[in-house]
Amino acid sequence: MKKRIVICVAAAFVLVALAQAAGVTLDVKEHVLKNGMKILMIPKPGVPRVVCHIYFKVGSINERPGITGSAHVHEHLMFKGTEVMGVTDYAKDSEIDRQIDALMDQIYREKYWKTDGDAAKIAAWQKEVDELVKAEKAFIIKDDLWTQYMKNGGTGLNASTSQETTGYYVTLPSNKIELQMLLESDRLMNARFREFYSEKDVIMEERRLSENQPGYFFGEQVDAAFYTASPYHWDVIGWMDDLKRMTKEDLVDFHNRYYVPNNAVAIYVGEFDPAAVIAMADKYFGRIPKGPDLEPIRTGEPPQYSEKRLYGEGPAATSLRMMFHTPPDGHPDTPALAILASTLGSGGGGFRGGGGGGGTGRLYKTLVRDKQLAVSASASGRPQWYVGAFQFNATPRVDKGVKPEDLEKEIWAEIDKVKKDGLTEEEIQKAKNRNEATFIRSLGSASGLAGRVGRADLQRGWRAILSDLEDLKKITNDDIKRVAAKYFVKDNSLTAIYTRKSGR
Amino acid sequence: MKKIVTAILALAFVCVGLGLGQARHPSELKYPSLKYDPPDPKAFRAEYAGGLRAYVQEDRSLPLFNITAIVSCGGLYAPKVKSGLDTVLGDQLIKGGTKTRDGAAIEERIDFLGGSLNFNVGERTSTLSLSVLSKDLDEGLAIFFDVLMNPEFREDPLKLAKARFVEQLRQANDQPNGVLSREYEKLLYGDNALTWRPTKATYEGITAADLKAFHAKYFSPKNVILAVSGDFAKADLKTKVNKLVAGWKGKAVAFPALPKAFPAPEPGVYFIQKAINQGYISLGHLGLDDTNPDYFAVQVMNFILGGGSFTSRITTKVRSDEGLSYNQGSRFTYRWGLPGTFAGYVQTKSSTVGYAISLILNEFNRIRKEPVSDAEMETAVNYYLESFADGFQSSLATMSSFANLEMTGKPMDYYKTYRSKIQAVNKARVQEVAARYIHPDTAVIMIVGDFEPCNKGGDKWSGALDKLGKVHRINLTDPMTGEEIKNP
Repeated sequence: MKKRIVICVAAAFVLVALAQAAGVTLDVKEHVLKNGMKILMIPKPGVPRVVCHIYFKVGSINERPGITGSAHVHEHLMFKGTEVMGVTDYAKDSEIDRQIDALMDQIYREKYWKTDGDAAKIAAWQKEVDELVKAEKAFIIKDDLWTQYMKNGGTGLNASTSQETTGYYVTLPSNKIELQMLLESDRLMNARFREFYSEKDVIMEERRLSENQPGYFFGEQVDAAFYTASPYHWDVIGWMDDLKRMTKEDLVDFHNRYYVPNNAVAIYVGEFDPAAVIAMADKYFGRIPKGPDLEPIRTGEPPQYSEKRLYGEGPAATSLRMMFHTPPDGHPDTPALAILASTLGSGGGGFRGGGGGGGTGRLYKTLVRDKQLAVSASASGRPQWYVGAFQFNATPRVDKGVKPEDLEKEIWAEIDKVKKDGLTEEEIQKAKNRNEATFIRSLGSASGLAGRVGRADLQRGWRAILSDLEDLKKITNDDIKRVAAKYFVKDNSLTAIYTRKSGR
Repeated sequence: MKKIVTAILALAFVCVGLGLGQARHPSELKYPSLKYDPPDPKAFRAEYAGGLRAYVQEDRSLPLFNITAIVSCGGLYAPKVKSGLDTVLGDQLIKGGTKTRDGAAIEERIDFLGGSLNFNVGERTSTLSLSVLSKDLDEGLAIFFDVLMNPEFREDPLKLAKARFVEQLRQANDQPNGVLSREYEKLLYGDNALTWRPTKATYEGITAADLKAFHAKYFSPKNVILAVSGDFAKADLKTKVNKLVAGWKGKAVAFPALPKAFPAPEPGVYFIQKAINQGYISLGHLGLDDTNPDYFAVQVMNFILGGGSFTSRITTKVRSDEGLSYNQGSRFTYRWGLPGTFAGYVQTKSSTVGYAISLILNEFNRIRKEPVSDAEMETAVNYYLESFADGFQSSLATMSSFANLEMTGKPMDYYKTYRSKIQAVNKARVQEVAARYIHPDTAVIMIVGDFEPCNKGGDKWSGALDKLGKVHRINLTDPMTGEEIKNP
């Protein structure tokens, strides 16, 4: 059992940062607790609601083979109660839980450690487990945290795990922020992963849902082939073998390592008094002890020095994907790559990565509209924290006998044009205008803003949003030509060709 | 001494109330009171030239201008031989250009300004939406009304769009979820405008003349309501809009009759074969109209049954207790002027398909027969009351909500009276509407999955699926031709 230490924060460090961009002020108030947890606040008066998010600097890239998927499994388990929540008698409940874990350990050893495990033994232990699970139900208050949030008007209630971050979300009436502080600090300190084994079944169903999306298996192989060394190699959901064999101990270790206040940012956007939020944060989050410092990811992607090609067949649309390794977020080449994605792809997409497949992109105009070789054609960039990717996707006009390989040649021709002549001044200006307008629009959505500012803060600090905006404005056509020549080369690429056929 | 203790206790209580004490459990928290009154639609209503109505809110928080035109028309009004007209119109209103502007030039210009212009065609309402920086208001507004009033539907972009949509038909049977929702509605609504689907032939038969005629019939000032918000002055906007819409006229619209009679499908299992490792399941029947006075009680009832996420019975039982699925619940869908659908839904591995269905059917029966608990009522009712202000966070969304109320003929005090109608729902009403709108005995159970393992079942429910009712095998149709695929 973890000690609960109440830390009184005497001198609150409050910094109000005002930064001008695009004639609009992004005003983020910052407060750092003594335990290293950061509180960000963006007051937005109007409607008495507050978007409350917490982000942890942990995701699937913090896993290793054997425990892939655990960042996401852990996120699920954070809803499974604490010493305080979701339980009527903690002592009795934890005794049953301990017995279940001991039996499951025996089952896993028999089932997964041995090649000729005794099925009869496993069945007998499983029967005992089933009985204990039944007995434990008497002490469990089902989904207590959800009920508490919902009956207090919580909306947007969810959590999500990505490669780099994990977030926990709720939007509450302005007078109930304290509820979020209490429940979130409680599960940070006192999480007890009840119903672990049935929740793993839920997650395996979640993985099957992905598997049943046509083309999923091929896409998973493509990513795994593209990222060979870095932990972006596996999908956030993890490999099925790991999901089956993962133990509760794995998750407790994961929690203790990464779910520490110095690895978290809480952000509030809406109608509230920042001083009151700081006082509450000190009181609730401030009571959690600081954890050890965390080392960044060690393994990046080694250079390929050879072209990769992957072919697949299955029950999805015939398509082409071309991927190129690009530098991580914050690299000086990132804004030029964003402009390239925006200009080649256009429409849709967003800030930073840019891209999409809209009607004003070069690829749409050439391949879809003028030559009528493709149903769709898009480009997009993903800077990511440690390794980046630039990607082209296209779907051929099967009715005209066009093959993915034909589109591949066309896209290379477009790339070569960019290497030689770059983009037009108008195209570059358009990408800059779009980037700035998208930024302004993003300030209008409280939950979007919370997500963007909160996540950005974990890696490069939230001000990077503003400096990126300024950096993109400085890009010239020479930068465009230079980055196209540097990254769009065969030895840095993976080409994936998928053909529709029956099967999986 | 005793007095002092009491005083200290009282002080501690006050401290908790003021947020000074540290609570250990939510039951110890006391919240300051909060009063919220929704905005009054009347304060935002405007009327422009030609009888064009609008809901307008000045919002100077960001240098943006947003405008949406809600047009009373949609895919339901296209004849069967022109199925897909809605999709093509949705694409071509902008891409097809106007009398004076080329479609590509419109897209290019809006994009250069960092704006967005989108058109979506729904079942009975369609929306054209523009967002630009407020410095580009004049130019954006001129393009917006040009597209709305004067589309030209040029031949080249139309030809390209039709070819692309035909190509996309190839994917119509790919996604298990897409197949399930399409076939479930087909079974419940029968053969009418609600379920007609485009084929290669119907797409190819759509002409520029069809689009022009459709546009001419429905796009008139009296058949449109605007929702506007952003950084502008109301009076200036009125002058600008009136100038742009001067001369825009249109006849009174005669709407086609809506489908009325729906078949009563034979209860039982309807199975669609797909080589996947889960069954995708919907079970239920037709629901109710959104103007039905029972709507509020049904919302509360369904929250408890399977709409209230993790607090609902179906999620607790099927996901949390049994670990059978990631996504499950129950939902009532609503359509303007037509009955919606009711469905329990779940996706689960093949061997637990029958078991999951049996658990959902148990919950259907339980909520009909037993009163819900006080705690369930409290959670459901408080959720709707306490989260009410959520719908008014964006000024554009609020204006759109008001425009939609007026468009669909709902009372304009809908939001003002919303909370009192939720508060009026009690346990007896919940049970009453459960019995009235949930009918396990006439439910159809539709499954998209791999028949053999689904039919075999597993430890907890050993199959076969005919234990749940007569099993009908449904063959999918070839999306290109609309004809049944005999040997899938």
